[in-house]
Amino acid sequence: MRRTSGRCCVVSRVSPIARIADALAVGLLLWRAQLTMFLNQTVRSRQAGRLAMTIGGAAVILLAWGWEAVVVVLIVEAAGRFGAHVDTVSLLSLGFLGYSGILIFSSLVFSLNALLLNPDLDLLLVSPRPVESILGGRMVVQVIRLMLLGLLFTGPALVVLAIAGKDPLIPLGFALLYLLYPVYIVVLVSLLSLLLVRIIPAGRGREILAVLGVALALAINLINFLINPALRAGGALPRGRIRPSLPDIPLASAPWLPSGWAGRAAAAILNGSWLSAGAWLALLLAVSAALFVAGAMISGRLYLAGWIQTVRPRRRAARAAPAASRGKRVPLLGAVEAGIIVKDWRMRTRDLAQLVRFAMPMVFLVIIFGLRFPRLAGSVQQLGPGPVAAMLGLIPAWVLLFSLALYLGLTAVSLEGKSIWIYASSPNTMFSLLQAKCWSTALPTAGLIGLVTVAAELVIRPGWLWAIAASLTAVALAAAVCALMVGVGAVFARFDWTDARRMLSPAGLFIGMALFLIISIATALLFGISLALANLSGFPVFTTWLAAMVVAIGGTVAAATLSLLLGNERLRRLELG
Amino acid sequence: MLATRLLTKRYSSLTAVEDLDLDVGAGELFGFLGPNGAGKTTTIKMLVGLLRPTSGSARVAGIDILVEPEKAKARIGYVPDAATLYDKLSAREFLEFSGDLYHVERVRRDRRIEALLKFFGLQDRANDFLSSYSRGMRQKVSLTAALLHDPQVLFLDEPTVGLDPLSARQMKDILQDFCKEGKTVFLSTHILEIAERMCTRLGIIDHGRLLALGSLQELRHQVGHDGQSLEQIFLDLTGSHEEDVGAMLRGLES
Repeated sequence: MRRTSGRCCVVSRVSPIARIADALAVGLLLWRAQLTMFLNQTVRSRQAGRLAMTIGGAAVILLAWGWEAVVVVLIVEAAGRFGAHVDTVSLLSLGFLGYSGILIFSSLVFSLNALLLNPDLDLLLVSPRPVESILGGRMVVQVIRLMLLGLLFTGPALVVLAIAGKDPLIPLGFALLYLLYPVYIVVLVSLLSLLLVRIIPAGRGREILAVLGVALALAINLINFLINPALRAGGALPRGRIRPSLPDIPLASAPWLPSGWAGRAAAAILNGSWLSAGAWLALLLAVSAALFVAGAMISGRLYLAGWIQTVRPRRRAARAAPAASRGKRVPLLGAVEAGIIVKDWRMRTRDLAQLVRFAMPMVFLVIIFGLRFPRLAGSVQQLGPGPVAAMLGLIPAWVLLFSLALYLGLTAVSLEGKSIWIYASSPNTMFSLLQAKCWSTALPTAGLIGLVTVAAELVIRPGWLWAIAASLTAVALAAAVCALMVGVGAVFARFDWTDARRMLSPAGLFIGMALFLIISIATALLFGISLALANLSGFPVFTTWLAAMVVAIGGTVAAATLSLLLGNERLRRLELG
Repeated sequence: MLATRLLTKRYSSLTAVEDLDLDVGAGELFGFLGPNGAGKTTTIKMLVGLLRPTSGSARVAGIDILVEPEKAKARIGYVPDAATLYDKLSAREFLEFSGDLYHVERVRRDRRIEALLKFFGLQDRANDFLSSYSRGMRQKVSLTAALLHDPQVLFLDEPTVGLDPLSARQMKDILQDFCKEGKTVFLSTHILEIAERMCTRLGIIDHGRLLALGSLQELRHQVGHDGQSLEQIFLDLTGSHEEDVGAMLRGLES
């Protein structure tokens, strides 16, 4: 189905030059508004929690900057001491080519949002500004954002290089480069998005891109597996046979590619050849300006020609549940808990955004372990039957648990979103909501973890007793970790999100990851202690192992109980004003 | 059926509702009126247990909402002004879920769902996702959910916003029938014509304080001008005079 009419706008009679100038003005206006919103939510926020998060975030950035600066100082020192010769043009061009790949993906997502989905688009389009100015303004915002991100990531390195090269203009030169380089990609991708939405629904674009990205990653992995005999060989490989090296792509520094211009400009800035740098920057500026003017005008034309004839998501209906099953109750669960579990399952599986996030960990598991599993399994089998092989067989499941428990558990309560009023105004306690959320998270997670563990243990063959014991341990730990994450998610629950990506609170995610790490380390330590104890005391290793795992599971259950109690307190005090 | 004593809600320096004393009896259709930001929604949210009062008490169907919230909520139906529903559920699935939340026995739940869907003309779209529903249709689904467990008190926040004339009429009928069964409706509205025609008693709130309470006739008597319309009473009580509007317009022109 295609829309035949979209947002209303009229053809502008303003001159093209004025429209482009206006685009820059709109871009700066939008940027200022975004900056104000950012400041209001961070440093100007009067909420203690937000301020604490801002300070925490700033501390993390400072730490990362310090680390980056130290690494760059060491590299500069080493290069000076050993007189290493590096082809800076090739290296930097390659860097800019890689950056282009990131830019293409991020710009596609940004363009779909900025040009089609963001709710403020209507507000802008009804203003007395030409359409070209609005669309061009959006591109300006994206370019500024990318420049700042570039400086955020490489700022400390640039400062170190400026000090080492005694040239304070180096960061300024790179800032200009970061401003000019993304322009052509942002413009081309914006135009591409306007055409893409004729094929795919704009609202699904982000998820479809994510699926394509994952498919690409899988394909690259598969090709790597097929052409790299080292990955297909069984058993462990000697270290000497694996040689890390930079990919050699001579095309990156080609003088007819923007990555080549940027690489040459960057190399010239670092060498202090400002004349050469100026020439390459001027070329980038000329091409960027021309593309920006053309891009803004074409996007305006596309809009006026009716690009809004986008594909609308089809009207979706739910399959009616069979009449026989509708009246049935789920065993062991009350109607409220069962209702929430069924509702959560429907919400998670019917929303493409959530489904992609749910499926992603499994895809990554295949990427990380799937193709390499025969070789890894061969290595583990060499250890022979016993607890070590059985526990190593839990690693794929543990990686999966990390993703699933964190995503499903931490978002379980936030999943209610603005609809939380439905539950809050119902005659049920918040604790029964948490109970239901534990079930709705633990059932699919523990089920999948069980399957992956059993499959791994069948391949590794550590002995049937060890395989069963390890599988049961994995399932029990998975359920306890899920409950723990549900509790943490309840403490940091967010209900005001409109985008599923915003369900996760950064603080909750950080604490969830830290707790998972602590549980992983503690379990590994307990396992090690159990082996040592068996060796020293002469106790059967199964007994000491069992005791260690009971302690690990018990500890996780205790932590989960505490987090659920804290989460319940938070939810009980919830005010939906 | 509904009683509040010195009910107050403060947000740091802002007092949203102050010392509210209300008594609404069984079978009453009570209209709660006030300008934007007067404290209507805050009051309703305190009465349905979504907000915790700073001080004071509230009893719904004889049960203190602060002491026994679950017990009180079982007797309450609530329709917010802009109901956020689960977009990825169909209307039927949402209503089934809602029935489960309110512990409605399944056979009775399904029977009531079918009857209410038919009454609101939603049965043909019952299996469509709620994301495809218009605001008015969502409002109907929300009302259906609120009626599903047969509550004793129904709270509605701006219930007719987004409804077409037929649906608004249906809503009025259903609310009046509801009151005839001896149950209570507490509704907030901006549409004075609805309040004037439907409500047995009215309360007018502004800046968090209850300014007037009673039947339309009693309100007229309180203002001191018999025969005045509700609109005029409302403007007199809330201080929105024509002179103020004139002064504002003159200020804009200068």
